[in-house]
Amino acid sequence: MEIKEIELTDVLPAVFKGEPARPSDVWLTNLTLRKGERYIISAESGTGKSSLCAYIFGARRDYIGTIRFSGEDVRSYPIKKWQGIRRTGIAYLPQDLGLFPELTAWENITLKNSITRHFSNEQIMALLARLGIQSRTDFPVGKMSIGQQQRVAIVRTLCQPFDFIFLDEPVSHLDEENNRIVASIVEEEAGRQGAAIIATSVGNHLLLSDAKTLHL
Amino acid sequence: MKEKKTLRSAATIGRLLRRNLSKVQMLGFVLSNFIGLAIVISGIQFYSDIRSIWESDDSFINQDYLILNRKVTASHTFGSNSTEFSDEDISDLEAQPWVRRVGKFLSADYEVRAYMQQGDRSMSTSMFLEAIPDDFIDVSPDDWQYTPGDTVVPIIMSKDYLTLYNFGFASASGLPQLTEGMLSSMPLTLRLTSRDGSGDVTLLAHITGFSGRLNTILVPESFMEWSNESLGAKRGEGEKVQRLIVDVSSPGDVAIGDYLDGHSYEKAGEDTGAQAAYFIKLVSGLVIGIGALITLLSFFILLLSVALLMQKNRSKLRLLIMLGYNLRAIGKPYENITLAVSLISYALAIIAMLIFRNIYIGGLTGLIGQNEAGMAVALLCGAAVVAITLVINIIAIRRKVRSAFYS
Repeated sequence: MEIKEIELTDVLPAVFKGEPARPSDVWLTNLTLRKGERYIISAESGTGKSSLCAYIFGARRDYIGTIRFSGEDVRSYPIKKWQGIRRTGIAYLPQDLGLFPELTAWENITLKNSITRHFSNEQIMALLARLGIQSRTDFPVGKMSIGQQQRVAIVRTLCQPFDFIFLDEPVSHLDEENNRIVASIVEEEAGRQGAAIIATSVGNHLLLSDAKTLHL
Repeated sequence: MKEKKTLRSAATIGRLLRRNLSKVQMLGFVLSNFIGLAIVISGIQFYSDIRSIWESDDSFINQDYLILNRKVTASHTFGSNSTEFSDEDISDLEAQPWVRRVGKFLSADYEVRAYMQQGDRSMSTSMFLEAIPDDFIDVSPDDWQYTPGDTVVPIIMSKDYLTLYNFGFASASGLPQLTEGMLSSMPLTLRLTSRDGSGDVTLLAHITGFSGRLNTILVPESFMEWSNESLGAKRGEGEKVQRLIVDVSSPGDVAIGDYLDGHSYEKAGEDTGAQAAYFIKLVSGLVIGIGALITLLSFFILLLSVALLMQKNRSKLRLLIMLGYNLRAIGKPYENITLAVSLISYALAIIAMLIFRNIYIGGLTGLIGQNEAGMAVALLCGAAVVAITLVINIIAIRRKVRSAFYS
């Protein structure tokens, strides 16, 4: 199914319930994220940035309020539907990257690409080359620097068709040059598919052009 | 090329998820499951082999039949003929849980005299005749039938009588010993006389078989009905039954003894066969039970080992789920492990059973002839146990994978 928009209605992490309300563009409001647009969610740590991603990605349900994909309440989605969304609807780069440290960069990437068949091996190599880590493909990820791991995870996140791409602090360990490269790659891929980009940040924003900033 | 790629990524997942697999635990499962299954299927096989022996008619432990009569007391000797079984007695007996079916002994209600010609010697003896339903007789000669008007009556005699004659009577009185074959070919004449002298029938008879189970002289039921009707002292009063043959489902059951004592019934013959059968059933049941218990415990070892392995790899399961893998595909490596170790232990158990059977079967066939049972029952039981444990394990694995979906 194509996800045209993601609506959040009065959503709040259950643990925040009862706490004095802070001004927020996301929590306890009506927010609609639309396909094709770009958002930076700017947050201080501890304000539920990763929780928001997990709720939208179906990995956690400990929120109050309603999240709707194209009008459908996602709380009742069965596991099978979520798995389909994770392959073709929403791409997600978790803050902890979610890489298998014992596997090589190449294995980590193809583990995703083998179920989506989104890229050819050459396309993957080209992306790795643009990010400057093409020579490290056979290296166990666990032995790479955090910055390199972050780039491997970004390539893996792109290995699928998507309507929305959520990037949880994608460039926290990258320099400005690499930040620019990541931004342009993500913008290209999202642009090609007409998809939305949502990147969170605690300070080092992904350098997207023309993005709306939401304060969490 | 694409196929190859999928295979490679499946292998990668397998490699990932099998990490932390404890070889010792798997070996422990294979060993204990092998022992349990081997005991179960060997026990079942041994029991089927033994069972096939006592289902053969002549076997020493074939005592699924009881022959019952009322206890004879002095009041019976001098009084009324109350050693008969009434219809109520019989239907009460038929209602007992250990009874499969009941057959009635019909006895001749007239005098019988047999004449025998052997060379130039002729001898005659007073005798008796009984009849029971054909399906209770342990031999089934081809010519075992009689229709009124036939001039020859077939007879089945107890083997014991021949033994008694050969080793008791013949040796004491200097008469030649006889074989079953000689006796069968000997012409016999029967003279049946009603007790009041009003009727008299002379017939030819020949012995068509020897029974090891029935300690009597049998004629076909149809002959008995016809002769009692025409010569019997109690013509028209219906059949008088003084002995019953009972097909028992569980010989050796204590309930049988209690019932017989309670009704003052006596059973003929010795009990050792029934006790042997009961004992073998008990021991086989016990052995199979122990095997089943070991199998059950080994099943828990596997269940816990796999659960532990999945717990250790829980973060990996979660990562794969986050990547969008179908839960089935994630559970597959664990399902394959349980399938592999279960099949290995079952295969080993079959080998052990065959070796064990090879040891005892020679002795058994030597004892009772070619009577060994097939192996389908034991193998199917083993396969059923393996299948059930596999299904439960696979359900447990799938639940465990599902439980990793939500953090």
